[in-house]
Amino acid sequence: MPHLRHRSPVHGLDRRNLGPAEVLAQSVAGAAPAAAMATVPAIVAATAGPGTLWSFAVATVVALLIGSCIGQFTRRMAAAGSLYSLTAQGLGPAGAFGSGVALLVGYGVLAMAALTGSAIYLDALVARLGGTGGSRPVLVAAVCVLAVLATAGVLVRVRLSARVVLLVEAVSITVMTVVFLALLGADAPAGPPPPDPGPGGIAAGVLPALGAFIGFEAATAMGVEARRPFRTVPRVVTWTAGAAGALFLFAAYTQVSGFSAGGLAATPEPVLTLVTARGEPWIAVLLDVGIAMSFAACTLATLGALVRVLFSMARDGIVPARLGATHPRLRTPHAAIAVALPVVAAVPAALLAAGVPPSRVLAELLTVATAGYLVAYLLICLAAPLFLRRIGELTTPPVAVTAVAAPVLLAVLAAFVVSEWGGAIPLVIGLLVLAGGVWWGWLRLRRPRELAGIGAYDETVADDVLARP
Amino acid sequence: MTDPAPLSGRQPRAVRSALAVLEEVVASGPGVTAKEISAALKLPQATTYRLLNLLVGEEYLVRLPDLRGFALGRRAARLALPVVPRPPAAARAVVEHLRAMVRWGVHLASLRGGTLTLVDPDPDHPPSEAAVLARYPHASALGRLLLADQADWRAVARDLRPLTAHTVTGAAELGARLADVAASGLARQCGELRADRGCLAVPVRDPATGALVAGLALCGPATRVAEPNDELVRLLREHAERLVPLLA
Repeated sequence: MPHLRHRSPVHGLDRRNLGPAEVLAQSVAGAAPAAAMATVPAIVAATAGPGTLWSFAVATVVALLIGSCIGQFTRRMAAAGSLYSLTAQGLGPAGAFGSGVALLVGYGVLAMAALTGSAIYLDALVARLGGTGGSRPVLVAAVCVLAVLATAGVLVRVRLSARVVLLVEAVSITVMTVVFLALLGADAPAGPPPPDPGPGGIAAGVLPALGAFIGFEAATAMGVEARRPFRTVPRVVTWTAGAAGALFLFAAYTQVSGFSAGGLAATPEPVLTLVTARGEPWIAVLLDVGIAMSFAACTLATLGALVRVLFSMARDGIVPARLGATHPRLRTPHAAIAVALPVVAAVPAALLAAGVPPSRVLAELLTVATAGYLVAYLLICLAAPLFLRRIGELTTPPVAVTAVAAPVLLAVLAAFVVSEWGGAIPLVIGLLVLAGGVWWGWLRLRRPRELAGIGAYDETVADDVLARP
Repeated sequence: MTDPAPLSGRQPRAVRSALAVLEEVVASGPGVTAKEISAALKLPQATTYRLLNLLVGEEYLVRLPDLRGFALGRRAARLALPVVPRPPAAARAVVEHLRAMVRWGVHLASLRGGTLTLVDPDPDHPPSEAAVLARYPHASALGRLLLADQADWRAVARDLRPLTAHTVTGAAELGARLADVAASGLARQCGELRADRGCLAVPVRDPATGALVAGLALCGPATRVAEPNDELVRLLREHAERLVPLLA
């Protein structure tokens, strides 16, 4: 009998307490489909034109393939550190560290973006209902208030937190479905004709379309807390990819057909244009509610995943061990929350206060987050077959999945670099990569043993095994 | 591929293979790998891996920390009838001592391995039938001691059916009761198993590991059990304490 610990390395979390619906809500909220439904089709249409639906279809397939790679891990192990802890089992410390840095950037910046988005749409809602909106101090204050609410949201018992996410996300998706059903068949005034897509245009559209999916793996951070992790987590990740894909295709169809006379890519707010064409102003109010709630749920789900990655890193010993503490009663990683939340709130608040236009803050933050996610997705796809080979359970299908998904993700990453070249974003990403490199060097020098052993997960302990009495 | 095909009753081969996989893990001992199982049973590898993942998902098997090897999970214990040894004479003497002091029924039950077995029922105040106690732990005080000790009590108490008008059948309400039991170390039910009877029960734990070993229960008229009964609870705890070195 191999040696078994008496206590899980990730002890302290509320183990095995979340039902399937609550775990599903994390992933769906992480992907924030409602917000993406309203904004992403127009971005995709800028390159793919009438081929927009094809770009979304390809992105859905890629997301399902990534989900299948994640499932190879989550069917066999339960972890709190999301893709970081999983990658460690396939690519070892270097790959896991890369994934960890990418995830900290992805989750951290997506949480910032979601906070900003929620504030922007709440502000727009107030303005639409007759209040005064749009002023800079109001937005900064809204970000701060939402950040405090989000802190409470991730600090409370995970069951309560997950139910809040479930409720908010369910309302948001219902509202958005109503909005898009109401807009089916709306005809926008004619605009410039769409670009001729061709296969190149459709391929270029896959990058923003895949960006709409980021966050769909958030449930993997709930592995320890899910009641039946080996069954629930892989399923909800796949279902989220499929369901989000269906919602995006529906939203894209509504918008592409609404702008059949052209102009989808040239309109800054295509859904609002469709609303005006329909002549039903209440739809605009619903739209703001749906998107603001979607961003709020996304903030909570992403923060939950972020603090659990930090928590896992602390248990691995590559960040201060104090961040691995959990609250004795609430059983959430309160130390990691205390460190992460101020940073997540300060960056968007500072950018808004400095006078950067809100919509630009949102767009740039989303772009940086996408970069982090794409790197983490690429690493998990590479890790899956290596992990299966290590444990002696390699079959052909997972190799085939990686053989398709990894080159596509590499191409998407390359397209990302090319499309962002020259702006401020590559500089920011370069600085983040540099910081990661310095951190890696410091760990190699000072903590080589901890670095070699990263990848703590909720492993089987002596109590879980039926042994001879 | 991402979602293992669910087994239906129309797939006897799959069920048979799953049972063979379980048996193979028992025969080979903890640490056996998927490849070894596949070779021993001459099952296709992909099928073996899928069955293993399914059995791990259902917690009949666990993966060992290297993620390669398998062992029986705690849930597998529920496939076999527990062999419960008769308590030693010294332990029965302690229970007998308590019986002489109170006018209520005194029962001793083993709670090892996640199952409830009466090992010293009171002959003068016969308890409910053993099968009922074992099947509906949510309604008895001893059963609640057992449930309060489980990481996931829902896996053990699947059928929260009402046995009397007073039985707690709501999952949330039962969860709250069990949290109370875990915090106070005292389980109580008044007329939930039989309308006119009630029970108080306290745990006996292994002092070294803290594992739940047995439960000692006092049963009497439902109305009397509902009272605070501080003196009775003190007596019950005192005797449970004396059982610790004899049973653990």
